[in-house]
Amino acid sequence: MLAYVIRRVAGTIPVIILISLLVFMLVQAAPGDPADLLLSDEATAEDVADARARWGLDQPVWVQYWKFLTAALQGDLGTSFRYADPVLTMIAERLPATIELAVVSIIIAVVIAVPLGVWAGARPNSWIDNLGSLVGLFGISMPNFWFGIMLILVMSGILNLLPSSGRDTYGIAGDPITGFYLLDSVIKGNWRGLWDGLAHIAMPAIALGTNMMGILMRVTRSSVMEVMHEEYVTTARAKGVSERAVLWHHVVRNALVPIVTVVGLELGTLLSGSIIVETVFSWPGSGQLLISAITSRDYPLITGTVLTYTMAFVIINFTVDILYAAIDPRIRFDK
Amino acid sequence: MRTKRIISAGRSLVAAAVMAAAAALGAPGAQAQAKSSVSIGVVNDFAGWNPYADSTAQMYMIWCQTYGCLGTFDTRTGDYEGILAERWEVSKDNPNEWTFYLKKGIKRHNDGKELTAEDVIHSLWRNKNDPRTAQANNTRPVTEAIAVDKYTVKFITSQPTAPLLAFLFDRLIITGKDLYKKYGQDVDRKAPWGYGPYQVKDIVVGQRMVLEKNEAWPGIKKENPDRLIFRRIKEDEARVTALFNGELQMAQFIPPHLVDRVKSAPGVTLKSTSPVEVMFLAMNPNFKPWDNKKVRQAVAYAINREAIVKAIFRGGAEVLHGPIGPGQYGYSPDVEPKYAYNPEKAKQLLKEAGYPDGVEIDFYTATNRYINDRQSSEAIVPMLQAVGFKVRFHTPEYSSHWPLVRKGKRPFYYQGRGSVIDPSAMLVQYFGTEGTPRIGYSNPKLDALLEAQEREFDSAKRQALLLEAFNIVQEEVPAFFLWRIQQHYGISNRIEFTPMATDRVYGLDILVKN
Repeated sequence: MLAYVIRRVAGTIPVIILISLLVFMLVQAAPGDPADLLLSDEATAEDVADARARWGLDQPVWVQYWKFLTAALQGDLGTSFRYADPVLTMIAERLPATIELAVVSIIIAVVIAVPLGVWAGARPNSWIDNLGSLVGLFGISMPNFWFGIMLILVMSGILNLLPSSGRDTYGIAGDPITGFYLLDSVIKGNWRGLWDGLAHIAMPAIALGTNMMGILMRVTRSSVMEVMHEEYVTTARAKGVSERAVLWHHVVRNALVPIVTVVGLELGTLLSGSIIVETVFSWPGSGQLLISAITSRDYPLITGTVLTYTMAFVIINFTVDILYAAIDPRIRFDK
Repeated sequence: MRTKRIISAGRSLVAAAVMAAAAALGAPGAQAQAKSSVSIGVVNDFAGWNPYADSTAQMYMIWCQTYGCLGTFDTRTGDYEGILAERWEVSKDNPNEWTFYLKKGIKRHNDGKELTAEDVIHSLWRNKNDPRTAQANNTRPVTEAIAVDKYTVKFITSQPTAPLLAFLFDRLIITGKDLYKKYGQDVDRKAPWGYGPYQVKDIVVGQRMVLEKNEAWPGIKKENPDRLIFRRIKEDEARVTALFNGELQMAQFIPPHLVDRVKSAPGVTLKSTSPVEVMFLAMNPNFKPWDNKKVRQAVAYAINREAIVKAIFRGGAEVLHGPIGPGQYGYSPDVEPKYAYNPEKAKQLLKEAGYPDGVEIDFYTATNRYINDRQSSEAIVPMLQAVGFKVRFHTPEYSSHWPLVRKGKRPFYYQGRGSVIDPSAMLVQYFGTEGTPRIGYSNPKLDALLEAQEREFDSAKRQALLLEAFNIVQEEVPAFFLWRIQQHYGISNRIEFTPMATDRVYGLDILVKN
C-alpha cells in the first residue's frame, strides 16, 4: 500500500510540471496583452512599455518560465499583475469559498440521489423509480448557469426567500478563523452568521449540485439493480434475511464502488462548474478569481489558479483510488 | 391544554426563526437600527485597497469620496466643483502655472491630522510612481508641484493645458504623506484614512466595498447614508432582482431589455443619465480601402442611425452629429457635415472611389463590452451591404480585440470612448499624430488645431478652435460618430438620488428618506 502511495505521488510530479509548462505557454500564446488590458484607456505606449518591463514580459518566454518554475518550487507562484498580491495568498483566500460551495453541493446531491437511487433500483418501474428517472433527467440536462438564474428569479425575485447573490451579509460574519464561513460560525457559536451563510449558499449549491445529483441517482440505480441479481443476494434472501437488511447491508455496500468513482469523477466537473456558478451568484471563490484573471490576462494568477485546480484533480483521483480499497476488500494495490 | 401549549410554543419558535431569518436576510444594517445603510449594485471588478491601481469610473468614484480629490465635474450643473480644493486659478503671466487653494481645516479620518499642500504633492508623486499605478497618464501634463504655503499648492505643466482640470478632478487621489512614510506600500491596507466625506471601512475584492460617513465633513447631512455598501453583482438578472427584493437600494447599468421590468416594479424608479460615452466606427486609413476618404464617407451615408437607436436601443441613445453632443464641453450645433442617411449617395461615393462592384471589408465588434454592442453592429452590417460593402463581420472577445486596436492592427471597428466631458483628450488620443496608433490617422492641420485649443484659455476662442477640429473630423471621417448611449439606474424609492453622466455615485448626493 505504502509503495503504491509513494509511486502515485512520484508520478504526479512530472504531470504537474508538464501542466505548468502547458498553461504557461498557452496563456502567453492567447491573444491579448495584459499591459493593454490593465492600463487605462488613456495610457501611452511609454506607460505600456513600463508596465511590461515591471512584470518581466519584456524577457523571452523561456526565461520567464524558468523564473516561474524555480520560484514555484520554492513555494512562490509569483505576484498578480492586477491585484499585486502574491498569487498563493490570493488563492488561499478564495479557495475556502469554493471548497465550501463544493462540499455543500455534494452533500445535497448525495443525500437526495443515493437514497432515491437505491430505492429506485430496488423497485424498478415503480412510481419511485419513475420519479427518480425524472429527477435524474432533470439534473443531467439542466445547464447550471440557466438553472442558477432561474433560482434567483424565483427564490429571491418572486418569493423573496433567499438573498440573490454573495456569500454573506456585511457585518454578520466577523473575522474569519478557517475561512470556511459555515464552520467559522459554528466554532464561534454565531448562529445568526450560520443562518446567513446557509441562506446565501443554498441556491448556488443547488445550482451546482443538481447535475451531479442526476448522474449519481442514475448510477446508483443501475448499480443497485445489477447487484440485486448477484447470487449472494439470493443466498441472503434464502437464509431469511429481511428484505430491508438485504438491501442496506448486502446490496448497497457492494453497489458503492461505482458510486464512489462517480462522486470522485464528478468532483472535477463540480470544480469547473463552480466557475460558472460563482459568476452567476457573485460567489467570491477561486472560480470567479480565475475568470477575472483570464479577462485581464493576469498571467501569474491564471497559471497559479489552473495549477491549483490541477492539484485538486490529482488529489481527488488519488483519494478515490485509496477509497476503493477501503470499501471493497477485494481491491488491493500491492504488487 | 397541553397540545395547545406545544402548538403555541411551536408557533413562537417559528416566529423567532422567521424573525431571525428576516434579520439575517433583510436590510443590511438591521443590527444597527439607528444607522442608515444604502447598498449599491455595481458591475466592475476592482484591484483592492490601493487607490492608484484602478483606472475605472467606478473606482475613481470610491477613492474620490473617501481619500478625496481636488474637485469633481458635476454633470448636472455642467461645472467643476471643489472637494478638497476651495478654488483654483491659472497664472495670468504664465499659462503653465496652476494654483490650487486647499480648504482649511480638513481633518483626516481616525487621527484628525489636517490636510496640507505636502499631502497633495505626495499624492502627485504616488500617482506617477506607485509600482501599481494605472493612473499616471492623468498627471502627465504636470511636471512639478510646489507648496507655496500650508494650504496652497502650485502645479507646473510642461505646456499650456487648458483642459487640465478634466485630467485632475475626479482622478487625482489625495493620500497622506506621513502615513506613507510610516507604512510604505502597506499603507492602503493598514491605514486607509483619507480626507473625504466617507471613510473606507472594508474592501473584499470581487465582492464589496464598504464606506462609512465622515461626520466631521463640513456640510454633511443627517440624511446622507451612514453607510454605503457597493456590492459587485455582475449578472444583470441578479442585480435587478436584488434591487426588487430590497437587498439593493440602487443598481447601476440596467441593460435595455430589463428597463421595462424596472419601470413597472413597485417601490423602484428608473432614472437615466444624459450620456458622456460616445460610440463610433473607426476606419484606419493605413488599410485599404479606408485610405480613400470617399469610402469612409460612404460608410457615414450608409447607416440609418435613427432606425438603430429606435429599434435596438429602444430610444435609450442619442444620435451624434459630430464627435460630441449637447452637454459636453465645446459642443456646437453648427458642426458640418452632418451625414443624413442616404444610401444612394453612399453607392455613388463608392463608385467614385473606384469600387463600382463593391469592396470586401472586415468589421470587428468586441462583444459584451458596450450596451447592445453586438446587436447594433449586426444592424449596421446589412446597411453597409446594401450600398456595396461585402462585410465579413467578426465578434472577438474584448480581451483579445482591444490590444490589437491599441497597436493599430484593426482596420474597421466599433468603439466607445467614455468620460468625455472635455473632448480634447479623446481627439488627441484617436486623431492626433502624436496620439495613439488606434486609428493611424494623421493630419498636420488637425494636429495644429488640437494643440492650439489646448493652449487657449479663453473659452469662446477655444470652442471655436474645437469646432474647426470637429469639422475636419466630420469631413475626413477617420471615425464616424454614431450615438451616445444612456445609462439606466434602478433606484429604490427609499432614497433620493439623481445619477450623473460620469457615473459617479457620491454618498453626499444620496438622501435617505424616512
